Amino acid sequence: MSEKIQKGVTRRRFIKTTGAAAAVAAGGLGFPAIVRSGPTVLNITEWGGKWSQVLKESVFPEFEKTHNCQIETDTAFPFAPKLMASPKNKPVYDVLHSNSNDQWKVAVAGYIEEKPDPAKIPNLKNLHPFATSDKIVGVAAFTSAIGLGYRTDKTDCKFESWKDLWDEKFAGIRGTYVITNGLGACLFMMAGQVFGQGFKDTEASLKAMEALKPVKQVDFTGTMEKQLFSGEIIVGVIHDSAIWRHVEKNAPLAFAVPKEGVLALEQVWSVTKGSQKKELAYAYLDYILSPKIQKIISEAMWYNPANKNVELEQKYKDHLFTTPEQVKQLVQVDWKWYNAQESTLAMAYNKIFQNQ
Amino acid sequence: MKAVNWGRIVFRGLNILLIAFLLLPIVIVILFAFNSAEFIVFPPEGFSLRWFDKFFTDPDFMGAFFLSLKLALITVVIATVIGTMAAMAIVRGRIPGARFLTAVFLSPLMLPAILTGLALFQFYVIIETGRTFWGLLVGHIVVTIPYVIRTSTTVLYNFDTSIEEAAQNLGAGPLAVFWYVTLPLIRPGVIAGSIFAFIVSFDQFPVSLFLVKPGQITFPIHLFNYLKYAFDPTVAAAATVTIAMSMSMVLLLEFTVGLQEYVKL
Repeated sequence: MSEKIQKGVTRRRFIKTTGAAAAVAAGGLGFPAIVRSGPTVLNITEWGGKWSQVLKESVFPEFEKTHNCQIETDTAFPFAPKLMASPKNKPVYDVLHSNSNDQWKVAVAGYIEEKPDPAKIPNLKNLHPFATSDKIVGVAAFTSAIGLGYRTDKTDCKFESWKDLWDEKFAGIRGTYVITNGLGACLFMMAGQVFGQGFKDTEASLKAMEALKPVKQVDFTGTMEKQLFSGEIIVGVIHDSAIWRHVEKNAPLAFAVPKEGVLALEQVWSVTKGSQKKELAYAYLDYILSPKIQKIISEAMWYNPANKNVELEQKYKDHLFTTPEQVKQLVQVDWKWYNAQESTLAMAYNKIFQNQ
Repeated sequence: MKAVNWGRIVFRGLNILLIAFLLLPIVIVILFAFNSAEFIVFPPEGFSLRWFDKFFTDPDFMGAFFLSLKLALITVVIATVIGTMAAMAIVRGRIPGARFLTAVFLSPLMLPAILTGLALFQFYVIIETGRTFWGLLVGHIVVTIPYVIRTSTTVLYNFDTSIEEAAQNLGAGPLAVFWYVTLPLIRPGVIAGSIFAFIVSFDQFPVSLFLVKPGQITFPIHLFNYLKYAFDPTVAAAATVTIAMSMSMVLLLEFTVGLQEYVKL
């Protein structure tokens, strides 16, 4: 009898235990769903480093509080391959922030809304023309100006023309980029404009690159800054932000705006077509374009704001492009066209510099 | 009068030059880390510890550093176990298609790591897990296992199996033979593979680029992001701390395990 009871108790215990375990497992599986029912998560991309720091401290908190959401930021560039590796109807990002060349790549692939709706983003009507021109998909909330940074203590040249970069006296002590860097591509196109028939005159551009040798090539602007500071180069292709953020350190550096114009290095935001949180995404874009946030980011990063109504401190106004007349100097290149030729041009470009 | 051994002198001179060539960049980085200048310049302009202070007090740097360290340590344990077991199976298992399996296991070495990262990213998208710490860990394990397998199979192929047979003849079961005979003898290969696995995981960049979860980025990616907007010696300080950590680990292994013996393959 006691054996039967013991067996019975064991079977009941087994059933109870199994049932409890199954309930816990089901609850565990369901737990993520419970967790997910919290604030909406807006998946965006942003640059890392100081940019990310400024956004986390001064930009995200107010938006997250106002919209009861959480912003999850991917700072591991490159973003375009990740976006294009995800399904169009369930993209890995809701908002893509990148430079214009990458935005055009994903736009051509059908991942982003090419022209934002002013009805959804009211601040669109307060922007400089470059922000929503036909050279832009999405909206350019900021831009840098790509010109020539130079050492004022090592040369008297004021670099009034892009052609000054090609002056023989700067051979070997001038800097540019590899073609995969957007600034390198911009110089390439500007060379076509300055020495040829226009930005798309690739033959003239390639001849100009040949004539530019010897030149120091770098991967990204941080290295160009370092080379200018250390004196390894006297002049280099660089964006204004990288020069002006050192203005208070009394560095012997200046930024030249050649007469042919400076190239726009736009910071572009777009909403992905497949985003399930479009209203929140539009609200975020509108927030980034608001005068308050434009001022915060412009002054932290020395970027030229897109919103015409931003009132910057004087030291920023002295250097950045804020008025319509200043903004007119910004030249926007055709990244859609460039992206289509990119691999051919890159091969030809690399062939020129491979033996220097 | 003793004849001058010019051959020996030249040989030693060449060795010194070679070692200097390999170590000089490390010395330069360490010099930059203690430089008081705002930028990485040479020669150094003064002595300062502020870049180390900046590194250690920056929550983003510390978060990334400890994430990479945690990832590398877990990767080493798992990759070592799986890699050693796979090596045993390949060399001793007499399984059909052993050469094919070897090629499969070593294939991450032949593929650009960025493709491995992209492929895993797409896989996680398809199975809807998204990017997680565990997904990143799997990516690191995939690219580090080949190193453990490579070094472990090398020692296993050169292994004198008669020692195992002797242990079996004396009554030891398979597990006892493995634990008391095989493992101590293949330890050089396993430890060498583990060291490689740690280095590859801690320094891993292309795989991590695709697999890091937003808000949780690894040390190499954080360094890369940092350099986009700043080129001050904080990165040199970070590199110096990493070098010091690696040297400490090697010295610790030497004093505890006697590493010098185990890295002779």
